[in-house]
Amino acid sequence: MSLPLERELEGMPLEFANHEESIKITGFWMFLVTDVLIFASLFALYAVYQGGMGGGPDPAEFFHLGPALFETLLLLTSSFTVGLSIWAMRRGQTRAMTAWLLVTLLLGAAFVVTEVSEFVADVAQGYTWHQSAFLSSFFALVGTHGAHVTFGILMALALLVQLSQRGLNAITARKLFTFSLYWHFLDVVWIFIFTVVYLGGKLT
Amino acid sequence: MSHPTEPALHPDQEPVRYLHAHFEDDRRFPWGKLWGYVGSLALTFAAFGAVAQHLWPPTALMTLILGLAVAQAGLQLGVFMHLRESRGPSWQIAGLALALFIAVGLVGMSIWVMLFKSGVS
Repeated sequence: MSLPLERELEGMPLEFANHEESIKITGFWMFLVTDVLIFASLFALYAVYQGGMGGGPDPAEFFHLGPALFETLLLLTSSFTVGLSIWAMRRGQTRAMTAWLLVTLLLGAAFVVTEVSEFVADVAQGYTWHQSAFLSSFFALVGTHGAHVTFGILMALALLVQLSQRGLNAITARKLFTFSLYWHFLDVVWIFIFTVVYLGGKLT
Repeated sequence: MSHPTEPALHPDQEPVRYLHAHFEDDRRFPWGKLWGYVGSLALTFAAFGAVAQHLWPPTALMTLILGLAVAQAGLQLGVFMHLRESRGPSWQIAGLALALFIAVGLVGMSIWVMLFKSGVS
C-alpha cells in the first residue's frame, strides 16, 4: 500500500511527503506534549514524597548508581542508533535503517531487563511500593517510564514486520519517524530520572 | 509589496513566509548525530563524576546536575528529534512550550507548597 506523494516542495523527506501523514507527525508531537504532563505529575509526586521513608530505606542507601549509569548508557546509545536509522531512511538505505532499528530494539530490551532485575532484587529484600511513600512514588515514576520503554519495543517489533512486508513508503516512513520521536522523548525523561532520582538520591 | 509594473497579487495568492517548509540537511556522514551522542555522554559523565566526587555542597551540586540535564534534553530535542522540522508552522514548539510551562509550574509549586510544613502539622 502506498499513498500518492506531493513533492511540490523541494527536498521533502518521505515521512513528510504526504500531507495527511505529515499531519500525523504533528499529532504525535501533541501526544508527547500530554506525556510530558504525565511525567511532570509523577516527578511532582516524587519530589513531595521523597522524604517519607516510613522506617524503610532512604534514597542514599536504596539506589545503586552502577546499574543506573549502565541503563543511562544503554538508552543514550539507543537514542543515537535510532537517530542513525532515521538518517539512513532519509537516504533510502533501507538495510542500514532496519539494522539500526534492530540495534535500538536490542539496547531497549537490555535496558528493560536491567531495570526489571533491579526491581526484582529490591522486592526480594522486601522493598516494595507498599513500604513507604518514597518507594511508592519511586516505583510509580520509574515504572511508568519502564512501561513506556517496553511499549516502545513492541512498537519497534511491529514496525520491523511492516517494513519487511510493505517496504519503505510514506506510511511506514512516518511510523518510523514517530517511533524515533517517542524513543528520544523517553531518553529525555530518563535523563531527568537519572539526575533527580538516582544522582539526587545520593545528595540527601 | 508589488513592483509598479507587475499586477498586485490578491492576498490569497501571496506566499506566506512562515508556511515555508524547513527540513534539516544532514551531510554525507551523520556528524551532527555523532557529536550529539558524544555530547550527551560527556554531560552524563560530568553529572555522575560531580556527584561521585562530592564536588560542591548538595544544593549547589543539585543545581549543577539539573542544569546539565536541561542541556542534555535540549541536545536531544535539537539534534535528534528534528524539533523545528515541519511542512508548515512548527506547531509542536508551541505545544512543547506550553507543556514545559505547566510541568515546571506543577513540580515547582508542589515543592514550594510543601515547604510550609509548620502549617500542615
